[in-house]
Amino acid sequence: MKRLRLDRWTGQLLLARPGASPASTPRAALRAAAAVPSRCAAVRSQSTGAAVPQIPREDVDDYYDGTDHTRFPPLEPLPPRATSLPSPPPERALQSAKLAALHARLSLPERLPLQTLARALVDASADENPQFNNTTLAFVGQSLINYHVAEWVMCRYPRLPMDIMYATMKGYAGASSLHHVARAWGVEHAAAPGGEVDPGLLQFSLHKPGDAIVGLGYRRAEADGMKKYKWRHGMSSRVVFDDDFGEVVDTEDAKDELRLRRDTEYGNEYTRALAEKAFATCARAVTGAIYAHAGRDAAKAFVQAHVLSRTLDLSKLFAFAKPTRELSMLCAREDFEPPVARLLSETGRMSRTPVFVVGIFSGKDKLGEAAGPSLEVARNKAAMNALKSWYLYSPGEGVRVPSDMLADDARPWEPAYIDIGEVVGR
Amino acid sequence: MTVRAVKQISIGRNGVGSFILQCKKMDFHYCDWAGSSKGMNGFIKSLLPKFAASHPQVEFSVSPRPSKHPVIIAQYINGREKAICVRNMEPYEVLKKAELLRDANGEKLRKVTKPVQSINESVRGVWSPYHGNGLRV
Repeated sequence: MKRLRLDRWTGQLLLARPGASPASTPRAALRAAAAVPSRCAAVRSQSTGAAVPQIPREDVDDYYDGTDHTRFPPLEPLPPRATSLPSPPPERALQSAKLAALHARLSLPERLPLQTLARALVDASADENPQFNNTTLAFVGQSLINYHVAEWVMCRYPRLPMDIMYATMKGYAGASSLHHVARAWGVEHAAAPGGEVDPGLLQFSLHKPGDAIVGLGYRRAEADGMKKYKWRHGMSSRVVFDDDFGEVVDTEDAKDELRLRRDTEYGNEYTRALAEKAFATCARAVTGAIYAHAGRDAAKAFVQAHVLSRTLDLSKLFAFAKPTRELSMLCAREDFEPPVARLLSETGRMSRTPVFVVGIFSGKDKLGEAAGPSLEVARNKAAMNALKSWYLYSPGEGVRVPSDMLADDARPWEPAYIDIGEVVGR
Repeated sequence: MTVRAVKQISIGRNGVGSFILQCKKMDFHYCDWAGSSKGMNGFIKSLLPKFAASHPQVEFSVSPRPSKHPVIIAQYINGREKAICVRNMEPYEVLKKAELLRDANGEKLRKVTKPVQSINESVRGVWSPYHGNGLRV
């Protein structure tokens, strides 16, 4: 490839404005050359040709590119001041094809207007004004989603330890899950927020993260020390202080280093987290909008259809430290006979690939069973299986939740199964 | 000594709980002059209004592309797009192609050999040689 030689470039090239020049299409260029001389045509200093007569500037439109406007009418003009606004004005929502398509794709109720849906797509980082961004809607939506997920998990799996309960909540209703939900709806994001952007695009900014609060939780005074010195924080304080997923409400100062690098890298952990948060906030805001316009039942059905219908294998959430000891404590607490591990079958003990099948028995009842390459591993796995089958007890698929009682024709409430608590507290 | 949690994200399956049509946008490009666009122009005049009205969840755009063959370009939720050139087709053939693009999920075409694909674990379980009565050889 030949190198460009800047000194040989003529004035025409340097003067040409990309995009806005009259000669942006070949046909338009021909027409422009015949009729109207280019506004920015350079006249060479040594030129012998007659100077092209300049016609007055007033009667040539600045952006006119020779298009026949009777055949191809110009795009709809933006309302005045649209480009100076931080987010699209609400009246433009009715003109957006993307927004109408999103409304129909989610089968949203007719009562939910497009203006509200457009507002649900404006993140607090794009528009700080809470009357035009989705913060308030997202707060309602977050409360609703977390409430429905929590009541369902508690009634469906009453024996889950608190840590696993939090992980389950996060697996269903956490930011990364809801980010996937919003992506699966076909929500696209704008490159940068602004009043001229199509209202059907999600708008958030990576440069000034909004400080909108969309969840409950206290900001701990000792949060920095917890991060720096790894101070221990027990489950009880997590329940009281932290957010709905038992996570410390984070301070923005901790991400200064990543924030400094956000423009030099294509994307880093910080920008990814911001985008994820914006998509999750959008999903929550849509839920809140449904509650605001269509009511409680529609919002519950929406949460069930889009959040609770997802699949999460709870048996993969457990990480046991000392399963055998925990199982013997469980048996002592429940007045079972102490657990005994017995070898059920084995093969190839002296070979390179031995397999031992170990069962754990309490009296005559088998609590769990597993196969492993050594006796120790097989016994631990069997104990884990026994503990999992205890913790993952479920009254059944069609378990009733408290919000079912809000229906008018609800049957009388039968008390849900409540477990006495974790085997080993923390 | 306590049980700790591992972080996992739930997996969504389209059609379980809610169904979302994967085609999110369709562009119809035509040429006023060329003969290969004759069927496409007839489709746009006579069939497209009804087709578009019956699919509010898809964003439609019609735009001229002079001196080129007519083409339908569909964009999908997974970020991919599919294009079909509909030169010299009759309006109803164009409608067939539009329906084909509407029903596609945007994935690359691949041969499906199994009747059911599932992320649920097997109800029957995995066969184990260490259980049961064994097999006498």
